[in-house]
Amino acid sequence: MDSFSHSPSGSPSKVSAQDLQNQLKSQLAMEYAQQFLETVRGKCFEKCITKPGSSLSGSESSCISRCVDRYIEATGIISKALFSGQK
Amino acid sequence: MDLSDINSPEMQRFYSEEQERAMVNEMVAKLTSECWDKCITGTPGNKFSSSESSCLSNCAQRYTEMTMLIMNRFKSMQ
Repeated sequence: MDSFSHSPSGSPSKVSAQDLQNQLKSQLAMEYAQQFLETVRGKCFEKCITKPGSSLSGSESSCISRCVDRYIEATGIISKALFSGQK
Repeated sequence: MDLSDINSPEMQRFYSEEQERAMVNEMVAKLTSECWDKCITGTPGNKFSSSESSCLSNCAQRYTEMTMLIMNRFKSMQ
């Protein structure tokens, strides 16, 4: 990684702890989003594309939008059920 | 910051915070997936019916309750 590279003189290039944390955080956020996308794709494919045709039909695409919205909502309901009780 | 600082107390604290966040995330993701399969049996609508949303919420709570029961069961076998 570039931020860790050493200059020819041997002194390491400076990167603050804050920079490193921000960089790690954004990589993690990317990873979480990727995983979420993967899950939603699987769930909504299962629900909405029951019989794949030669193209995506209008009703399939609208099912997909609703499915994505509902999956996000479901995630919220689950985390509320888990954590709002004791917090 | 040089390489030795990636293990500084400040960074250690950051790692454990992020680790905890990851665990919570993973748990919510897993439960959402399980409960979605159990509770959302039809095609997704414009909004959840009240039975769907209460099923989701019950599902998450029962799952944690079940975890406790299973843990206790294992403990009693030792």
